[in-house]
Amino acid sequence: MISCRNLTRRYGNFTAVDGLNLEVDMGAICVFLGPNGAGKSTTVKMLTGLLPPTSGTVEVCGLDAAANPRELKRRIGVLPEDLGLFDDLTVEEHLLLTGAVYGLDRQETHRRTTQLLHALSLEHGRHTFAASCSHGMRKKTSFAMALLPNPQVLFLDEPFEAVDPVTSKIMRDLLQAAARRGVTVFLTAHILSVAEEIATQIVMIRKGKIVWNSPAGELPQSLEAHYFDLVESPVVEELEWLGSPPS
Amino acid sequence: MARLAAILGAVWRAFQRGEKSIASLAGNNFFLVAVFFLGKAGSFLFLIMGLVVLFPLSTDPLRKIPPSRLALWPLDKREHLLLRAISPWVNPMTWAIVALALWALRGSVTIGLWGLAAGLVAAGFVISELPLPRGATMWRRVPHFPGELDQLVRKNLREMLSTLDFYCALLLSLSTALYRVFGPPLPSEAFMAMTVLVVIALSSYAQCLFGLDGEGGWSRYRLLPMSGWRILAAKDAAFLLVVAVLVAPLAPLAGLGAGFVALAMGRRPSVLDPRPQTRWRFSAGASPVYGIGQVVSMAFAASAIFLTSWLIFLPCVALWAGSLWWYGQKMEEREGGGR
Repeated sequence: MISCRNLTRRYGNFTAVDGLNLEVDMGAICVFLGPNGAGKSTTVKMLTGLLPPTSGTVEVCGLDAAANPRELKRRIGVLPEDLGLFDDLTVEEHLLLTGAVYGLDRQETHRRTTQLLHALSLEHGRHTFAASCSHGMRKKTSFAMALLPNPQVLFLDEPFEAVDPVTSKIMRDLLQAAARRGVTVFLTAHILSVAEEIATQIVMIRKGKIVWNSPAGELPQSLEAHYFDLVESPVVEELEWLGSPPS
Repeated sequence: MARLAAILGAVWRAFQRGEKSIASLAGNNFFLVAVFFLGKAGSFLFLIMGLVVLFPLSTDPLRKIPPSRLALWPLDKREHLLLRAISPWVNPMTWAIVALALWALRGSVTIGLWGLAAGLVAAGFVISELPLPRGATMWRRVPHFPGELDQLVRKNLREMLSTLDFYCALLLSLSTALYRVFGPPLPSEAFMAMTVLVVIALSSYAQCLFGLDGEGGWSRYRLLPMSGWRILAAKDAAFLLVVAVLVAPLAPLAGLGAGFVALAMGRRPSVLDPRPQTRWRFSAGASPVYGIGQVVSMAFAASAIFLTSWLIFLPCVALWAGSLWWYGQKMEEREGGGR
């Protein structure tokens, strides 16, 4: 469902993503892990057609992302890094806009909007403008926008950060149910416990290169231990002044 | 004092980096036209100039520090008071008003003019302290429009209504309409001239239609499976609606024709060089040269429609439609290429 070959993105002399090869099957939940600045968001942008690759090819739903950008957009749902919200629209208006633009009739749009607002506990804030929403509400709105058109593939950039535990659980359940029905999910995350819970495929990236790619069940140790081994092990700096009496 | 000096230094740096008001004025068509006519200005134009120039510049520099951060810093009451007293002097407008006061004392400037300037600066300063509505919240109830562009047009309308350009144009339109009803009769050409002025006040916004969408808005536009011309059409619909309402009591057809030309002329910077704008400020166009070109074209179109034939309206619409199609294509070519 998602396929990329030698995907590379350079910014001047800096290579953000370096020769990435990846296959994600239909109905998989692929969790893309890596430290800040590793190239996760750049990869998501290239897979969704938001950013042209410097070299390499991307195919999503059998479509070349560069050749068929509009057709690709019709088939995917995206929660982008910056959430992609308009300050001057309310939570509900964002969902109504999505339904109209993706060709859903008014009745169906309203039905799905009501369901999503309820499922994600957004009902109380449905008339709140995005500019006045908390970060969690903004993230949930963007997540709902990604789901509403019933896409074949979901690309979610850090969907679980800044949302409360209950909503996080609801989101995970929704994604797992969608995957069981054949929707492919590609998401980036920093919360390893959540990744471990829902992933069917784990990909780790470090300095723009894939350092691990396997089905989730084939990890040789716990995800956290494996991540620290392959990607980055935590080094605690001793701050000797912290907690010492003020001079 | 070291703490105060450090904070004031930070305020100074933040104010200098963030102060775009002067640059925005240089690219604002109404400001350019007002400067051009200043030699023949009456008190009304002075008032408008004052609003345009002094109001956006008169912000409280202390706003650059988030209130929560300021409250968390371990400053005592005396330091807070000193900060409050010294920080306004970071804004050059404070010094300008003092200089104007000295001129007033020497008789070079009338006390009335100084009072007007000082009042505008003080008003701008005080208003900058208030939590301004985000535009959207103030204009929650904008009308619905038919078709799938409904929410986009409503959003664009809310954005436009949160710029000072709109309120300047509204002031001109309302005052002229009232004069038309209650004042002595004027030749119809005068209303045409005021119509052009109304559209000029709005025209800089036509050069930066995406300026208030922000990075998130741009991402969303690039994700929506819509053709570029339809995204532009939603922007244009909001702009033309505002123009139509404001010129309705003046010279409607000439005003709408000028509106179409303003959009067509502003298309290039809007699409190819989108620059972020600030709410409750005047829109900053691409450059003074570009602005003059836009103003001359609009004035020519409006005059031609008004003085010769309504048929001139048709090429104005054709020019707009051509720009919509051409720059719609350009938008799609730029998709995926970032801003």
